[in-house]
Amino acid sequence: MTSEPILSVIDVTKRFTVGQRVVTAVDGVSFDVAEGECLAVVGESGSGKSTIANMILGLYPPSEGSLIFRGRDLPERRTLELRRQIQLVQQNPLSSLNPRRSIAASLRLALDVHGYGAPAERPGIIEDLLAEVGLDPHLARRSPAGLSGGQRQRVAIARALACRSDLIVLDEPTSALDVIVQARVLRLLEELRRAHGLTYIFITHDLSVVRNVADRVAVFQRGKLIEFAATARIFEDPGTEYTRSLISAIPVVSEEEAALRDSLARAGVP
Amino acid sequence: MTAQDTLDIQNLRLSFRNWSGSVEVLHGIDLRIARGERVALVGESGSGKSVTARIVLGTMQETPGARVSGRILFGGRDLDAMSRTERRAVRGTAMSMIFQDPTTALNPVYRIGTLVHEVLKRREPAITAEEARRRGGDILREVSIDDPERVLDSFAFQLSGGMNQRVMIAMSLINEPQLLLADEPGTALDVTVQAQTLKLMRDLVESHGTSVLFISHNLGVVREFADRIYVIYRGRIVERGPTAAIFEDPRHPYTRALLAAIPRLTGGGIPEIAERSDSFLAPMVAHEEVMG
Amino acid sequence: MKRTATILLGNPLSVLGLILVGFVVLTALLADFIAPYPDHAGAVVDFVNANKPPSAEYWLGTDVVGRDILSRIFYAYRVSLGLGIVVLSIATPIGVVVGLLAGYIGGWTDYILMRITDVFLSIPPLVLALAIMGLLEPTLLNGMIAVTAMWWPWYARLVYNIARAEKVEGYVLAAEIIGGGRMHVMFREILPNCVPAIVTKMTLDFGFVILIASSLSFLGLGVQAPTPDLGSMVSEGTRYLPDSWWLTVFPGAAILIAVFGFNLIGDVLREVLEPD
Repeated sequence: MTSEPILSVIDVTKRFTVGQRVVTAVDGVSFDVAEGECLAVVGESGSGKSTIANMILGLYPPSEGSLIFRGRDLPERRTLELRRQIQLVQQNPLSSLNPRRSIAASLRLALDVHGYGAPAERPGIIEDLLAEVGLDPHLARRSPAGLSGGQRQRVAIARALACRSDLIVLDEPTSALDVIVQARVLRLLEELRRAHGLTYIFITHDLSVVRNVADRVAVFQRGKLIEFAATARIFEDPGTEYTRSLISAIPVVSEEEAALRDSLARAGVP
Repeated sequence: MTAQDTLDIQNLRLSFRNWSGSVEVLHGIDLRIARGERVALVGESGSGKSVTARIVLGTMQETPGARVSGRILFGGRDLDAMSRTERRAVRGTAMSMIFQDPTTALNPVYRIGTLVHEVLKRREPAITAEEARRRGGDILREVSIDDPERVLDSFAFQLSGGMNQRVMIAMSLINEPQLLLADEPGTALDVTVQAQTLKLMRDLVESHGTSVLFISHNLGVVREFADRIYVIYRGRIVERGPTAAIFEDPRHPYTRALLAAIPRLTGGGIPEIAERSDSFLAPMVAHEEVMG
Repeated sequence: MKRTATILLGNPLSVLGLILVGFVVLTALLADFIAPYPDHAGAVVDFVNANKPPSAEYWLGTDVVGRDILSRIFYAYRVSLGLGIVVLSIATPIGVVVGLLAGYIGGWTDYILMRITDVFLSIPPLVLALAIMGLLEPTLLNGMIAVTAMWWPWYARLVYNIARAEKVEGYVLAAEIIGGGRMHVMFREILPNCVPAIVTKMTLDFGFVILIASSLSFLGLGVQAPTPDLGSMVSEGTRYLPDSWWLTVFPGAAILIAVFGFNLIGDVLREVLEPD
């Protein structure tokens, strides 16, 4: 984390006009994302975490402030090349994969658009992508309905990989999955990050996941970035009452965890 | 099986017939809930946990193509022996349900006060609007709603998700049901709100002496709620026992995998766990029951 | 596809529909071979056998100039089916493109295209067709133009509504973020999700197109003599009711069979392809 950040969010504010009212979804937020790290973005509904992600993905521009990607300002209208470099894995693969297209067709789009491989080689690349996320290449011909929830999310991850981007926004990628499947997908994400030197912006509300996968944590509340620190520090000594309340809401499975959780919660009471 | 059991499910089987044949979803489930007991049924999606609740509620039996067999005794009465009308009468009075997403479960075209009145009418058809309002106000105060008058005059979409969840809990308990079915309550809500409502629900069912069947995919969520746990895998109960026993001494390989898969607050990374294993199909493990 | 076929063949209603539609299609295709009097499709006059009730020789009787009604029904089916195919194969693509553009791109495109659609939808279909037929010669081609003009807006509305709903689905966002262009998103991502609804509507509409074409010719504005047409046959026959009942009853029944058959299939298709 010594090198130049892959992405800098500088003084970003986003306002939306809802009817007659102006709502400030993100309010003067600044942070860096280091090359190769997994940065957890934590907050509840209305915290602004999704708005930040959508601006990073280029779905809409900030009202104020700027986004710097690899030293260059991200323009309002992104080129195809800039779009390619920041990819997304969504929460619900049942929605993020087209129910009426085959897995192969969904994966092929990235190859076609960005011209990866000769057209005749693309089916082979698709098989390699599926193998890389731990899926049987024969699944390529199936439709999403023929896959389990975990398999679908693996396809969605393969699709992000197909773009050969370095920065991937993971928007609650495992919260729609069963716990065992979640554990397996989290491990896969970790392996891929190591193997390809990927950078993750991991949006989640689940702090127990954050504890085990993130390098640093950004906590959002009502559009503001209220805490930003290394994961270990956040969990040893949460700096705000809100972070403490998030930690105390985590369901735990052992006495050891319960003791830790309760001691953190108590530490906040003056 | 004892006389005071609120619910006694014996050898429950469910299969679906469709154009290509028949698929068995539940392969003989036995589950018992004593009066005032909080029982959790935990398993992955497709394991059969939600359909079990729907069978108890009696809605599954009305689904075309569904075949249900086995015995369900509710307060000692065989649900199968009841007529369709009787079963409908039980729903919402002696038995009620809380859903995942409270906002969609509350009809948006009626004020909360009207919905509360409707629920009360199921048990007391002659109840007046004033009486319903008074009782509604009382129960809303019990779920820590400070301004019940405002809530009674609101529509569901005007309230927050957490508030709607409280209203749901209040409405599900207003007729003093013997059994509350809770299907992943609050998973659609923010974590802090979910934690609060779970605690609230626990206090409330405890003070009302309501039996609960709590359905979840996450063992962590039920640890502080349930007295006993049943773990279900692919339509079979694989382990059952008191909550403490399940967490301290999980014996079935599937239960162990389910526990190991939950990320720890103490850290240590995500362990490697097999998604499928022959050992998951091992016979059921029953811990010694502490209660009669 | 296989599943759809299995269900269609397993449901008694759709099997009846398939039999009825099969009958209509086969008689239309094979009219030259199975019609007892193939030349009666044209301007044949045989006053000796005029206005005969059903008999062994003329199963469904003859019309006022002595032509075999059964033969004319077979040929009329050919005209009706042809009309249906032409109208729907022009109206559907127009409606699909308009609906996709308005639904996906939104903004001014949406506003302008959908207001045009609304204008067409707000005119009663028969009035619109009558107006067009009044301006143009009452020929078969112009009949098709008239029916097509009143038909595409329904497809535009249908596809527009689906496109608006699908636009917010995750797979559209995914395609956009990967870099897929508008054409890709509209025709490769959204359109496949409109297909079940379109197919269902086309099946149902086939019957309605036949019905409306018959209504037009009943009013004397559709297919012109001597080309056989079910609507004109009913229309001409009404003058001889109730004595020569076969002049109206059999062509009327023929319309019923075709419309009913397509509707039965359409209703079952809707249940299979569009659950919810």
